Amino acid sequence: MTRQLITLIVNGDRYQVPVAPCETLLDVIRDRVALTGTKRGCTSGACGVCTVQGDDGRAVLSCLALAIEWDNRPVTTIEGVAGGDELHPVQKAFLEYGAVQCGACTPGLIMTAKALLDENPDPDEEAINEALAGALCRCTGHIKVKIAVREAIKAMAADAAPEDGHGIQEG
Amino acid sequence: MASRKADFSVVGHDQPRLDGAHKLTGRSLFTDDVVLPGMLHAKIVRSPFARARILGIDTSAALALPGVKAVITHADAPKLYVGIEQPLFRHTIVNYIGDEVAAVAALDEATAAEAAALIKVEYEPLPALFNIQDALKADALLIHAKAKGNIAWQQAQDLGDVELGFANSAHVRTDQYTTHASHNCYAEFHVAIADWSLPDKLSMWTPTQTAILFQKSLAGALRLSDGQVRIMSLNTGGGFTGRTSVRPHHYVAAVLSRKTGRPVKIRATADEEFIACRAGGEVKYTFRTGVSATGQIKAFEADISFDTGAYVESQMIVLTLTSSYIHSLYKIEAARYSGRLVHTNNIPYYFHHGGGLAQMAFGLGQHMDALARELGMDPVDFHLRNGVTKGYTSMTGTFFGSCGLAECITKTAKQAGWKRKYGKLPPLKGIGIGVGAMASGAKGVFKHDTSAAFIKIVDDGTMSLFVGLPDMGQSSHTAMAMIAAEVLGAQASDITVISGDTDIVPLDVGALIQRGTFNTGNAVKSAALDARKQLEVLAAGRLGVKPSQLVFRDRQVYPKGQPEKAIPLKKIVYDTLHSREGRFVMGRGFYNSPKDSGTMAYSFGAQIAEVTIDPDTGFVTVDRIVASHDVGRAINPRIVEGQIDGQVFSGMSQVLYEETLLEDGQVMNPSRLDYRLPRSYEMPKVEHIIVESIDPFGPFGAKEVGEGPIVCTLPAVANAVANALGEPVNEMPITPWKILQILGRRAKG
Amino acid sequence: MQLPPFAYHRPASLDEALARLSTAGDSVAALGGGTDLLINLKLRLERPRALVSVRDLPELAGVSLDASGTLRIGAGERLTDLAAHPLIVVPYPGLAQAIRAVGSQHVRNMATLGGNLCLPTRCWYTNQSENWRGSQLPCWKTDGQVCHVIKTAPNCRAIHSADSVPALISLGARVLLRSSQGERELLLADFYRDDGIENNVLAPGELITAVLVPPARVRSTFVKAAARTGLDYGYATLAGALTGSNRVPKSLLLVAGSVGTMPLVLQKPAQIILAEGLNEAGIEAAADAVRDDLGEVTNLFTPPGYKKRLMRGLVRRVLHELRRQKLPAAD
Repeated sequence: MTRQLITLIVNGDRYQVPVAPCETLLDVIRDRVALTGTKRGCTSGACGVCTVQGDDGRAVLSCLALAIEWDNRPVTTIEGVAGGDELHPVQKAFLEYGAVQCGACTPGLIMTAKALLDENPDPDEEAINEALAGALCRCTGHIKVKIAVREAIKAMAADAAPEDGHGIQEG
Repeated sequence: MASRKADFSVVGHDQPRLDGAHKLTGRSLFTDDVVLPGMLHAKIVRSPFARARILGIDTSAALALPGVKAVITHADAPKLYVGIEQPLFRHTIVNYIGDEVAAVAALDEATAAEAAALIKVEYEPLPALFNIQDALKADALLIHAKAKGNIAWQQAQDLGDVELGFANSAHVRTDQYTTHASHNCYAEFHVAIADWSLPDKLSMWTPTQTAILFQKSLAGALRLSDGQVRIMSLNTGGGFTGRTSVRPHHYVAAVLSRKTGRPVKIRATADEEFIACRAGGEVKYTFRTGVSATGQIKAFEADISFDTGAYVESQMIVLTLTSSYIHSLYKIEAARYSGRLVHTNNIPYYFHHGGGLAQMAFGLGQHMDALARELGMDPVDFHLRNGVTKGYTSMTGTFFGSCGLAECITKTAKQAGWKRKYGKLPPLKGIGIGVGAMASGAKGVFKHDTSAAFIKIVDDGTMSLFVGLPDMGQSSHTAMAMIAAEVLGAQASDITVISGDTDIVPLDVGALIQRGTFNTGNAVKSAALDARKQLEVLAAGRLGVKPSQLVFRDRQVYPKGQPEKAIPLKKIVYDTLHSREGRFVMGRGFYNSPKDSGTMAYSFGAQIAEVTIDPDTGFVTVDRIVASHDVGRAINPRIVEGQIDGQVFSGMSQVLYEETLLEDGQVMNPSRLDYRLPRSYEMPKVEHIIVESIDPFGPFGAKEVGEGPIVCTLPAVANAVANALGEPVNEMPITPWKILQILGRRAKG
Repeated sequence: MQLPPFAYHRPASLDEALARLSTAGDSVAALGGGTDLLINLKLRLERPRALVSVRDLPELAGVSLDASGTLRIGAGERLTDLAAHPLIVVPYPGLAQAIRAVGSQHVRNMATLGGNLCLPTRCWYTNQSENWRGSQLPCWKTDGQVCHVIKTAPNCRAIHSADSVPALISLGARVLLRSSQGERELLLADFYRDDGIENNVLAPGELITAVLVPPARVRSTFVKAAARTGLDYGYATLAGALTGSNRVPKSLLLVAGSVGTMPLVLQKPAQIILAEGLNEAGIEAAADAVRDDLGEVTNLFTPPGYKKRLMRGLVRRVLHELRRQKLPAAD
């Protein structure tokens, strides 16, 4: 199998990786770049645990993306979400509101929620459901996940508001 | 009276899970994340036929493929059995679609898959059986010669005078129910890594609910001593009763590792999750209940047939548990059970979420609801009239030291507005109640039900807690840390919970039968008390009081009522170590129920569901669930809510959505897409009512919340649908087509 | 599941892509978003020797109006972008709804319109592991002579379930097809064939480059009945587009999806509405008429009888929505 050298940019780090055309972004990120936070699930786009954020900020199913198509295109994975020791507001809300149980779907849910809020900081219930419908979670039944996403929206809006408190949105 | 929440500084307060930040940042390791030096990848060759004779297996092409390191068949493990009657590999007759025939290990997964496809197995397809009725026919073919009439196991039992009970009944009602196959659908797929590269030690990394059972099963089957098998469960991505015993792929990885002298990883593909990893099968229930004119149950009879699939393993437990379930919920004076496990050529039946009890509750809850309606009685009153109470001892010998059933029922009914709504909703809107009970651990798997714990305290005041209880997501490790922290006056975050490696952690039967909080919790409490006792010597002397007068709280130790005299906990620890004695504080404890068999405590719940039926599509929307659960004491209330949520989801999903669709033994929907789990849009609002009955035997009064809520959800949703539809649907799942059919028939009639 | 090996090309221009696609006929496949093709490759349902990535071709990009008001949608446009595009959302709400009904948001972020139009039919006898498929009597899709769904069927009856298609057909959309030989344009309704395998008229080497939606002041809607909202194949879908008033409707196209091997234009219910007007009685009569109009449906994924009952409900729902809907404001 002929391999082609590509530059994978994951969380700002550049990796030179030889990939065959049939290798998925998921397998390369996990097996070659050794970032295993992105989980391998159904590998056919139905469970969402492999979700990463693409160069346009949107949620991408890494199990259905060919690595070769991501040459020189930045990708964000779960390892790149927190800022150092500081959890991202979505991660904080998941922790505080009990939206993490077994944790196997959690990276995919975080990437899904982050991609949603990056594009739309004030999604309504429908938009939250629409985004989360691409990711399965058996443990929580999505109930606390939805609560956590709503709480993250509030927290992010409060952070973004000016110091004097004007513009803080009431949830 | 037991102490109130305010008396505790840790227990009863919301504590985010201790491993949460790891899980949220992708740091948590799951088995598939592990790569060992020299590791090979394995694939299994499975029968595509439900029943067939193997005429020949040609492995030569696979062995010739570069990168292939080993191919194994029955000849490599002729005496290895999975459970009781399933040889690891078949060489004569295959009995279900997915039955293992051979396996291959290669340098990478793609090569292993290619090699597996190159193994040519010649089959002669044979007639097969696919349902209970056909399998029980007098002239049916025999799947296993030993199982006469295709009955793998059966039981029949009378408790009390059943005939008299029915004779004394004013009303007797009989109903039949059917539930179909479903699947656990964990987020983490089945995976195992075996390293048996040296003959005297097998190490296995795998998600599990019970490392000890895995250790014992592997050791027994592979002729090793228990100590020669090391199980390492890292994080376990969901269990739902489905990771309680060793599956064929675990053995395959072990045998391949021994043969190649290298570590071997095996992981299930999406369809293998369904085909080979054993979900639930079809079950048929007949319930007959006699009641007095005032609605008191006089006699109960249950007959249950399980499609147990091609091989029987531990399904007897399911049958036994479902048969006796009613005694944990209602006061029963006479009962008769009969039941059988019936062989078919379907996938072997195994546990799924609710352990068989929730599935039975779909029928039992509707049966009791129908009985109440027939009597003109409000179901709420019926459950209150018959429900068990504190201090009651059932005819099976269970003593109920705590019981919040009545409180659950009345509080749930009040919050849901039951009286206002029941019988008064517009057409196609429905409300229904489900009640349930669940054991906190039980003897049965072993003679003991032991959990043990160690705790060591470092001289900076931090601690390591060693437990054998796995955390599949239920946050058990955080709960254990909270219990230890409460006893030792520490914070939960001061404690690192060490688990998952049988070479390190003490014995624990595992996360089975909802025993974690109760059994392991008691063990942890005992270990923490042991450690505290060691600290009390120095502290009591320093403070000039008796040890019994000491308070350990908020990282401090002080005489009762005199917090101003507090000494920091870590100073006590430091001084205890840096003393002439040089005592390193290590606490140990274990818990085993003092009973010979059965359960020390039951938890109880009640749920009320409201639904709307769409007459155009037949879809049912669950609008609202009010869920109460008597957990004894909520160690970590928000996590308790999360446990309730997950079970409400799974319960409503089983009633309305999920089914492993089988056609001639083949799963027709073996994917996360076609197996229809609901998701974000479908989930209703869930309101929680936590009832604390403070169990006299539980740690700080706590009982289980692991599978108790789900036994309430199924009947609640089913009864709500029956209420909306005006007639019950006795088959699960309740699909849109069943609903439209009923609505269509009504419109005509 | 792992992908089989294949060669990969990413041409810079449409001409180069067409040249690639025409060289090796069937053993070359055009790769759009990959959200369906790669799953089928993993299941070994298709075995192309090479994939030609067409998603980012500039010639396949863009959403624009021409002078006549015809809307041109590039086949390489992502569904997420289209579902929110002002040139679609406002004038063609039915199309926006249908596009949003495809897959999950994750899938729509990747998937292209052209890919959805070419979505292969599905059947749970073939969308299965290769091992099990191999043990079954070969069906039409696996070079056999039998359909496991409808035993007497003379060809493959797998289900067409591309949700954008009924909506586009209801709007009278046309497709532009290009090959190295040249370009042709045809009604999307004529693009599909009543055969689960040879499901459309795309010739080897040919590619959908754009979809053209004719200008019309139209009321439109789309409903999908699926077990779950988001990421599910529908039990049935229905798109409707109406011109004229409720009292005097001028034209009505009702197009059903997920009921057979191709989208089905419902004749009788539309005729009833055009004759009776879009009113309560007309809607009930139209809903009652759908049963006969459906003829043979493929009872795949649902038991016999359900789709016909369901479609009755969907006709009612779509017609009520069209009746209620206000005509989009003219520019």
